[in-house]
Amino acid sequence: MCLVEVEKSPKPVASCAMPALPGMKIKTNTPIAKKAREGVMEFLLMNHPLDCPICDQGGECDLQDQSMAFGADRGRFTDMKRSVVDKNLGPLVKTVMTRCIQCTRCVRFASEVAGVQDLGMLGRGSGEEIGTYVGKLMTSELSGNVIDICPVGALTSKPFAFKARNWEMKGTETIDVTDAVGSNIRVDSRGPEVMRIVPRLNEDINEEWISDKTRFCYDGLKRQRLNDPMIRGPDGRFKAVTWRDAIAVVAEVLNQVKPEEITGVAGKLSDAESMMALKDFINKMGSDKVLCEGNGPNPPADIRSNYLMNTSIAGLEKADVFLLVGTQPRVEAAMVNARIQKTVRATQAKVGYIGPPADFNYDTWHLGTGPDTLVEIAEGRHPFCSILKSAKNPVIIAGAGLFEREDQGAVFSTIETVAKKFNVTRPDWNGLNVLLLHAAQAAALDLGLVANPTESVKSAKFLYLMGADDVNLDNLPADAFVVYQGHHGDKAVYRANVILPSSAFSEKEGTYENTEGCTQWTIPAVPTVGDARDDWKIVRALSEVAGAPLPYDSVAAVRSRISMVAPNLVRVDEREPSVISAEVKPPVKQQVSPAPFKAAVENFYMTDAITRASKIMAQCSATLLKK
Amino acid sequence: MAFTMRAVKVPPNSASMAEARHRVFDFFRDACRAIPSIMEIYNLDDVVTPAQLRASISQQIRKNQGVSDPKVIDMLLFNGMEELNNITEHAKQRHHIIGQYVVGHKGLVQDLEKDQGSSEFLKKFYTSNY
Repeated sequence: MCLVEVEKSPKPVASCAMPALPGMKIKTNTPIAKKAREGVMEFLLMNHPLDCPICDQGGECDLQDQSMAFGADRGRFTDMKRSVVDKNLGPLVKTVMTRCIQCTRCVRFASEVAGVQDLGMLGRGSGEEIGTYVGKLMTSELSGNVIDICPVGALTSKPFAFKARNWEMKGTETIDVTDAVGSNIRVDSRGPEVMRIVPRLNEDINEEWISDKTRFCYDGLKRQRLNDPMIRGPDGRFKAVTWRDAIAVVAEVLNQVKPEEITGVAGKLSDAESMMALKDFINKMGSDKVLCEGNGPNPPADIRSNYLMNTSIAGLEKADVFLLVGTQPRVEAAMVNARIQKTVRATQAKVGYIGPPADFNYDTWHLGTGPDTLVEIAEGRHPFCSILKSAKNPVIIAGAGLFEREDQGAVFSTIETVAKKFNVTRPDWNGLNVLLLHAAQAAALDLGLVANPTESVKSAKFLYLMGADDVNLDNLPADAFVVYQGHHGDKAVYRANVILPSSAFSEKEGTYENTEGCTQWTIPAVPTVGDARDDWKIVRALSEVAGAPLPYDSVAAVRSRISMVAPNLVRVDEREPSVISAEVKPPVKQQVSPAPFKAAVENFYMTDAITRASKIMAQCSATLLKK
Repeated sequence: MAFTMRAVKVPPNSASMAEARHRVFDFFRDACRAIPSIMEIYNLDDVVTPAQLRASISQQIRKNQGVSDPKVIDMLLFNGMEELNNITEHAKQRHHIIGQYVVGHKGLVQDLEKDQGSSEFLKKFYTSNY
């Protein structure tokens, strides 16, 4: 397609492979160039089936566009076309290998970006085929991206097959909330239904890729949804009621309990607006027990650099040594892992890992499983120290394995000792990072939702769960009144007394801060399900009925309140680096316990209410997880 | 509605207050006796009980308890009998009965009255998310 005519050259020249020289006269639009392109097009279409009407790529196919631009208006090929057996790449990618034009983009993607050697070229000449090795599936957390990079309809989305055409869908540019990265996505919807999710280019965060969880979780948005306010009757069954009645019941109970017995828990998918409203409301009722799940017993919320990825995701590319402490980026934040993989591949950066045995798609040095290894490094007794010492831009990433630990403060201070010893934080380089796990975490820490979960739950008589499903309710008093506000009938609903349905991330405007401190908005793509309401509106309405009305009536008003607490949360699409370093922290007296780090994510495909409701994610867990 | 008109004979006027009062009780008895057949005709078993319908009828009668002119009482009785006839002859439909005697005139606006004194935000919140 890139053939051009160069003066004094006997043949058309491939412009992509020919360096431009001084004095060269290049003609791009002459009959010879056009004829040459037509010829190339004819060769491409020789073995390509003419099944565009039944092909899922139809309408967004590169080959279709190219043949419209450069192709001939008739075919001369009368022989039989080649046909190729379809391959099974797992539950996500559908293959029609006869359509493949052997561009090998998917092979290059698999080995260079995803870092797995699953895909390859088999056979030679006209027998050439793309495939996995016999009977193998493509087991990468980024495998869905081959759908986007395939220029023809050879690799398409299996869940999306024959569901919609790209011109009948409305695209909404929004962000993903299934992990703390905040990948930029486009939600394609038809009417009230989300049809698919595709990535959007953002070089600073996800480049042009998204993880499989992000791409295929959307069918969870249609299943197990809560659509009516419900009250649990004396027989233990839920009964649908009106909003008026549900809120009146909650307000009545709320006014009967003591202020210190009220606890609010924000879920891992909560947006900043709703967390602000929840915190203001609980505080107004006289309690300070408001927290966000996943942040652990005593989150380091005082200094912003203690809980953010200070190097920034794009900044990881400058690093030459990585030390991963208690984190498995591949399952905790697949896009951050892709960035590390890219760096390791480009610069042969060394990666040291402390934590339980884990699966990496680049070479790592497994230093140990517990904090004692970290102490050894801090004291300079570990062989990895020499690598850290010679590094120009070392990076330490502490992850979700640390948050739930009781000795979190001590572990963090050991990490800071390591950082100081090996010059990880300098005026021109901040390599000390925390990799968060959930979309709500960073904003929750900014807004100060930092109560201790164990104590708050133990003393609660009134527990307000705002989409919090993974908070441990074992110690909750049996007579506690539990309100569950959320979009899915997930774990916590079994304990709830009242259910208030809210909208999911695809249905509301919400502010989210990702793990590197970049604030982004979700944009509503589809209408809310049933009688659901936006999260912050429910809290606002409840506050009024309970007799302590919050002073904001619109999203803009909530955001101006947020700007008083955490101004960075209203500066959208900007990364707000933290200015104060960890040096001003008071010394920690806690002792490091020898217990090894635990894995924070058991099943990459099912981590929150949406993905647990998704059928595709269930299929992935069944077939792709390494046992 | 000519045929119902024929069925309801216009009795002579009540001579005294006592006679008018007696006729009112007669009418109430007639209406109460018709309740089981009304329940069946309009299929009301799942929305209302006979006792509630009786209460509704007596409430309609008590609405006019201040009337002291026997002629006016006779006229109101005539209206009531006409209505009863229309109902028992299935000249009405189910939603008429439900609207008038089960939910009552205030039925559909009751919720709005509860919101008196609450803010614009809350009123909007109860109606929709947008």
